[in-house]
Amino acid sequence: MSKILVVDDDIAIRKGLRDALIREGHEVVTAADGEEAMEAFLSETFDLVVTDLAMPGKDGFSLLRSIRHKSDVPVLILTVRGEEREKVRLLDAGADDYIVKPFGLAEFLARTRTVLRRRTGVREAGEVIQIGSLAIDLAARRVERGGQEQRLTPTEFTLLKTFLSRPGIVWTHRQLIATVWGSADGATSDALRVQIGSLRRKIEENPDQPRLIRTEPWVGYRFVTGE
Amino acid sequence: MKRLLSPRLGYPAAAILVCVTIGLLRLFPALTDATHALVLLVAVFTIARVWESGPGALAAVLATLGLNFFFLPPIHTFTIEDPRNVVGLLVFLGVALVIGRLSATSRLRLRQVEAERRDLITLTQLSQAFLTDTNRESLLAVAAERLRKAFECSSVRVYLADETGRLTLSASSGEEKEIKQELRDLAYRQGTSATFPSEGRGQDVYLPIRLGVQPIGALVAHGVDVSERMVEGCAALLAVALEREKFVRIARTSEEIRARDEIKSTLLATLAHDLKTPVTGARMAVENLDLRTGGSEESREAREAIERLTRLIDDLLNVVRLESGTAKAARERVSANAILEAAVARFGELLIEHTFQVEMPRADWYVDVDPAQVTEALGLGLENAARYSPNGARVRLTAVSRQGGVVLRVEDSGPGIPAPERERALEKFVRLGGTETPGSGLGLYIARTLVELNGGTVSLGASPLGGTSFEISLPVAA
Repeated sequence: MSKILVVDDDIAIRKGLRDALIREGHEVVTAADGEEAMEAFLSETFDLVVTDLAMPGKDGFSLLRSIRHKSDVPVLILTVRGEEREKVRLLDAGADDYIVKPFGLAEFLARTRTVLRRRTGVREAGEVIQIGSLAIDLAARRVERGGQEQRLTPTEFTLLKTFLSRPGIVWTHRQLIATVWGSADGATSDALRVQIGSLRRKIEENPDQPRLIRTEPWVGYRFVTGE
Repeated sequence: MKRLLSPRLGYPAAAILVCVTIGLLRLFPALTDATHALVLLVAVFTIARVWESGPGALAAVLATLGLNFFFLPPIHTFTIEDPRNVVGLLVFLGVALVIGRLSATSRLRLRQVEAERRDLITLTQLSQAFLTDTNRESLLAVAAERLRKAFECSSVRVYLADETGRLTLSASSGEEKEIKQELRDLAYRQGTSATFPSEGRGQDVYLPIRLGVQPIGALVAHGVDVSERMVEGCAALLAVALEREKFVRIARTSEEIRARDEIKSTLLATLAHDLKTPVTGARMAVENLDLRTGGSEESREAREAIERLTRLIDDLLNVVRLESGTAKAARERVSANAILEAAVARFGELLIEHTFQVEMPRADWYVDVDPAQVTEALGLGLENAARYSPNGARVRLTAVSRQGGVVLRVEDSGPGIPAPERERALEKFVRLGGTETPGSGLGLYIARTLVELNGGTVSLGASPLGGTSFEISLPVAA
């Protein structure tokens, strides 16, 4: 059970999300705008914040920034804007994920589970991660698919390790480039695309229809473990 | 006082002052020759300081003669007994002349500095007045009056060139004077200025108003009482002020346009939020109801209706964004294969019931577009193919190079569109299958508009698979 703060100026959405989350066994606190949310956030401890982006007064983006000043609690953003630039802006500002309105409850609950899992997602050292026919031993830097060893380059391995550190989360191009190459200077989204393509050929059953490394068009990539 | 200091009075004043000094010195017989000489030098210095060089030199000569006649023995004669006194007297004359000259020069310099300071103050005041005024009409209205005061003259006319290069009187101040048109036109066209003595006092001036080297008009002033440099400086200031006013006006207009665009896009964002929020609420309520009651035929229909409504809202918002000019293309250099890949990732699910083939070309081409917008357009092509092809039918996505450009192509094996209808199918609210076909009739129109915003074109053709071929043509990036 987790404690979740739901922030939206629309009462129907607040109620809908609260009912769905309570049914999943969570404890829910709701707020109608950014100020109210911040007040609640400062007086209690939450495992997840779900916030609308457009609200009167303090909006979702400045709420996200205020929260990030104080804590690294997972934040899921509800937005009506499907624009890629906006998504990148949110993720780069520290949002864990976004979901575009109008969304289905099933999709919303799946995203909630994913961002909540990041808290408990820390893997034991030496543990072999099994995803379908894929076996990954991070400590030994060894990857097998269907019993066959796949030789990963150091860059590919760093990418895989980064993905596994937070499965289900969207990584922006900029975040991945910074992790893999140290800084965003020089390396381009194209270079990243080449590396991802090569990694897919080694770990995906069908690299043309990738199931593990999903492309979030013009935003980044999401590693889906199918859990 | 001013009249007393005038140069014409200098010579008699010098003579009188030297005589008075000598008279005073004679009242004190106990003074030495050296004291006589020093006091006379002070008199020469004072005279030169007040009336400058000429009277100063006269005072020096008179003082020398006086010193000899009244104080050097034998007195009351111009003869000198002691030969040492001859040398002394010559030295006195020399020193008196030099002192007079120095004193006069310093006075002259001071006057020049004073005049320059005055010009500078006038220019500063003028520039302040000109630059605080950002309205052309009021700027011009006061400009002529201010210039006339600065030039201490009887009349000022400002002529500015219009778009056709014709000079028109834009501002004037002071008396009506006759204008020599040929001199005025010469000043504007060839940049030659003319200065000649006025009928009354001062000078008549015709000079160009220039911005850098570009002439923008001509300035005519009668009876100018200040230096030519000053007049030129003022004309240059006026040019700068007019230019500044022009830029302020342009900046204001573009700021207004930007603000209007911003208001438009804020309104659209609010509209999008206000339309989608209740739809989300409705969808959520139906789903929560389903979860509680186990679902029903009615709730399935409600969900489908909500989905159609959502799509319609998206399409209409897209059309408004595109047609109001709020949608801007954030163009960047991007690979055509990356666009195909993004379209598959985002819209591949639409074709889950079809035989969907993606043929990534071996060669890759780069295009200069907003990648998200072109992906969206390509997605609308894929959606169209999915809608009009039966389940299981083939749909192929590929890119080819053609005539120096790249063509992103969706081919389907549906019924196809007859050639005469193809152009019309890209128009707004056109549904070729009649009203029975689902959709708003906006998809292909949005695709076309998005691509055109990015410098490309959309066309429909016959597909080798038997159905329609949806093509996005984009120029290859340099």
